[in-house]
Amino acid sequence: MSAEQVTTRGATGVAGAVSILDRLGYRLQRLPLHVVIIIFCAVWVIPTVGMIINSFRALPDMQAAGWWTTLCPPHGFTLASYPQVLAIEGVVPSIGYSILITIPATVIQLSIATMGAYAFAWMNFPGRNLFFIVIVGLMVVPIQMTLIPVLQFFKFAHLSGTIPAVWLAHSGYGLPFEVFLLRNYLGGLPREIFESAEVDGAGHSVRFLRIAVPMTLPAIASLVIFVFLGIWNDLLVALTFLGVSPYRPFTVVIAQLTTSFGGGWQFLTAAAVMQMALPLAVFIFLQRYFVRGVTAGSVKG
Amino acid sequence: MTEVLARRSSRALALGLGALFVLAACGGGGGSSGGGGASTTDVTVWTAWGGAELKAFQDVLKPFESSSGIKVHLTTNRDSTNQIANGIAAGTDLPDIAPGPTDPKQVKDWVSKGAIKPIETALGDQFQAYISNTYPALTTPPGGASDDLYIGVVGGKHYEEMVKTQVKGLIWYNKKVYNGDAPKSFSDLLAIDPSKYGASKLFCAGFESGAASGWPASDQIDNIIMRQSGDQVYTSWIQGKTKFSSDAIKQGYQTFLKEVSPATVYGGTNTVLSTNFAKAGDPMFKSPAGCLFLEQATFITSFFQQDFPSLNLKAGTDFDFFAHPSMGQSQYDGNVNGFYDNFSMYNDTPAARKLMQYMATKDAQQIWANDGGTLGAIKSLNYTDPVFKRAADVAGSAKNLLVTAGDFMPSDMQKAFWQSLLNVTNNPGSLNSELAHLDQVQAAAYSS
Amino acid sequence: MAGITPDQIITAVVAVVGVPLVLLGYIILGELVIERLPDSVQGWIRPYFWALPAVGFATIFMVYPLIRTVIISFRNSDDTDWATGAWGAFANYHYFFTFPDTLTSLRNSLLWLVFYTFFAVFFGLIIAILVDRVRYETIAKIAVFLPVPISAVAASIIWKFMFDYQPPGATQTGTLNALLSVAHHDPVAWLVNATTNNAALIFVGIWTATGFCMVIISASLKAISSEVLEAARIDGANEFQIVRLVVTPLLWPTITVVGTTMIINALKTFDIVYVMTNGAYNTDVIATQMFFQLQHNHNSRAAAVGVVLFLAIVPLLVVNIRRFQQQEEQR
Repeated sequence: MSAEQVTTRGATGVAGAVSILDRLGYRLQRLPLHVVIIIFCAVWVIPTVGMIINSFRALPDMQAAGWWTTLCPPHGFTLASYPQVLAIEGVVPSIGYSILITIPATVIQLSIATMGAYAFAWMNFPGRNLFFIVIVGLMVVPIQMTLIPVLQFFKFAHLSGTIPAVWLAHSGYGLPFEVFLLRNYLGGLPREIFESAEVDGAGHSVRFLRIAVPMTLPAIASLVIFVFLGIWNDLLVALTFLGVSPYRPFTVVIAQLTTSFGGGWQFLTAAAVMQMALPLAVFIFLQRYFVRGVTAGSVKG
Repeated sequence: MTEVLARRSSRALALGLGALFVLAACGGGGGSSGGGGASTTDVTVWTAWGGAELKAFQDVLKPFESSSGIKVHLTTNRDSTNQIANGIAAGTDLPDIAPGPTDPKQVKDWVSKGAIKPIETALGDQFQAYISNTYPALTTPPGGASDDLYIGVVGGKHYEEMVKTQVKGLIWYNKKVYNGDAPKSFSDLLAIDPSKYGASKLFCAGFESGAASGWPASDQIDNIIMRQSGDQVYTSWIQGKTKFSSDAIKQGYQTFLKEVSPATVYGGTNTVLSTNFAKAGDPMFKSPAGCLFLEQATFITSFFQQDFPSLNLKAGTDFDFFAHPSMGQSQYDGNVNGFYDNFSMYNDTPAARKLMQYMATKDAQQIWANDGGTLGAIKSLNYTDPVFKRAADVAGSAKNLLVTAGDFMPSDMQKAFWQSLLNVTNNPGSLNSELAHLDQVQAAAYSS
Repeated sequence: MAGITPDQIITAVVAVVGVPLVLLGYIILGELVIERLPDSVQGWIRPYFWALPAVGFATIFMVYPLIRTVIISFRNSDDTDWATGAWGAFANYHYFFTFPDTLTSLRNSLLWLVFYTFFAVFFGLIIAILVDRVRYETIAKIAVFLPVPISAVAASIIWKFMFDYQPPGATQTGTLNALLSVAHHDPVAWLVNATTNNAALIFVGIWTATGFCMVIISASLKAISSEVLEAARIDGANEFQIVRLVVTPLLWPTITVVGTTMIINALKTFDIVYVMTNGAYNTDVIATQMFFQLQHNHNSRAAAVGVVLFLAIVPLLVVNIRRFQQQEEQR
């Protein structure tokens, strides 16, 4: 920010007066920047805020007028929807099941993906590119196509209807994307560091554990967020593999909160807000970490 | 460095393997067989019901659980037919009791695979009582045939137990707004002048319903076609033998368009297409009233009441219905559109049999009737609600209780059918091209 | 409904702790063994050893089903025989490329491909660059990221309130139509109207994805050393030129990665279309088409759609592989 410093580091007296004008001019110059950013933020935040506000309104109010009318009196806020949702049978355990499904599945797939990505990035072997294309190409396969063979596999492994089955399923479906992202990041790490470690007598496992992994932590941290979100919000996989069992996660329960005719909006808004809360907390906590902690990344320069 | 790592690693490995052991042990034991294994004390039931309907079902189940000691594991599942189909294909566990499939091909398929068990077996010696108590249209194939896939009858055996019924195609009105007589025919209905009663338009309609948008439109056109062209044409149309571009069906569409034209319907076509069916009737109760009539099934009454809690709407005094008017063909006036909820048994266990037997009793279905918003499948239930009493009469006196067409077409046909109704409402000029497209879909859907 | 048993909690904790430990043991012990082998053998056994868990998972859950899918795409819908009809065994592909419904879904997917990808990446890039220069950067990033953790069901609820339509003259409950009424304009039925509905859905998609792009691009942006930017400024470049000629090229690898992910997301889009319109009014996309075919038990047609989707991705991957190879040559 040297330009700024030069302009504002005014001298005393007359030079000081000039620098105030300069500062004003500088601020005005920056005005479009702020305006654009604020517009973006508004568009990205207001819709969600609207729904959150609606979750605090009674159903007839929601149907009569838009959420912004609550900003002026009479406000008509009610907290009733939340306890009502929590009181619905099966809701509270399902939140627990969501956590029980999400955390292990995230850990499992990221560990496996990091190992695999390291192999693809730093080891040369025949068929490497082919394997890579196949694995990453699988990202596009819609899950519906895999359901029946996987269901049969779980029956064969005596895992039908269990939560570990869902861990494995999510891992299988999530690996392609993670290998793709991590390989890209790992591949961008400077070769010299690995080479000097090799010269020092460090084997692959040491190079992986003490060099590659720590340097990749920012990418892994971002992935943790996205993988966690993907599993937390997943509906289809849970529905398919946990349909018969009582261990259904929160997403499945929310989707069935409406009557078979589609009523019950006040429950849906409250439940959706509750569902958003945990992933948001995770993000806010983790993003501070990786923004500060980015080291040499995939960028040369 | 490597020796240190080796020491650490062997500890790690030991820990890891031990962990794996525990994982396998716990995972195998704690998680398996999610459903009720022991079959005399537990039964798993899937239902598509949520919200108020689910609560009603739970009320029905309470006396059963306390008197029999059997625990019912109830799960709301909107996708049960697909999941059961997957389960049959993969050989995994099925729920004990769940709704039967509507696709006739699936009914036949699942019966031949032995996935569904006969009601005769489930009900045992109570079967005859079930048959004589239930509305005949729901249990007896017309003309003494041995198969009626729409009610789950294959090879003379029954595979679907009927528990609830609804009547469709009723014309609802606000008694405080419309105090005229029930119109005798459809043309009389169209001729009523809403401004005479202080309303702006004749009809209200709302076709939006999330993933199932369009079904209220199909109800409307079904009720037209069955009275305009008769049950033979109607049934052959469901079976894919009558084309969409045929005169009978085309006429049905044209009549339907009269119900949703900008001149007759509140708010114009955009409103019809954007309004959720549950809210479609609300303008009737506003002042000034937006419209006079809403065509809907019996279950709409609870939506009227919940949308206007302050008005405290009462059935019979505040709102009522008259039956769908004749289309001018008196021989078809006895055709009434109804639908039913049913359960099939997928695992033959003593507990499941007991539950099936219980649901066929008058006591069980009376609880449903008492909770309101529905008719039972048994003829002789008591209805305190005057509106439902009259609806039960309509159902009982119907010559033919015909099913909703779309529900029994192959699902891709149904989807195209519903969408075509939305499209022609949006753009009436596209009728001919929509019908031609439907013929194409029909040819593909019924062939494979 | 069952509560959570201590059993299950133990299993979960064991999994969280045990799996990385097992993998650790696998790597360390494996390496101990491999290092003892002759060099030539080491060279090829080691990569397969490391990649085995990932490849193994992918095989069971993706590769085998994919192969089965390709085979099914050539069968008839009961899977009793090879498909017959126009184009012989390719009958299902013929159906896909000639039936009006599937052609509509193809067209719509192309629209998603172009606009969703471009705008999600473009907005992500711009926002990352802009907020880098203000003090309230963290808050702004959280704001834009807010839609990302929202599930498709929740997002569709949110936008239903935004797009809600009431008849002209009635009080508007939808935010967009309320704004229109302030401007004395008739309300628009966003999701029904053929000119707006695809755009509306694609916008919801962009809305949910921009935060993702922004976060990843921003991380790479931070890694650009400030000396390079200073040098450019000293050379007299203005901010726009710096963004165009210095920052963007440096970010290009990241943009490619993000762009590839967005393209794949665009082709896979299902939830938003399914929940908001169910493909009605010609908003269908390939993934919803495929879902419907599966629902209607036309497994073979659904399989053909899946294969087409997969083949559409391959060129993209080839591009990415080339880039990886360049990356390797540079280091």
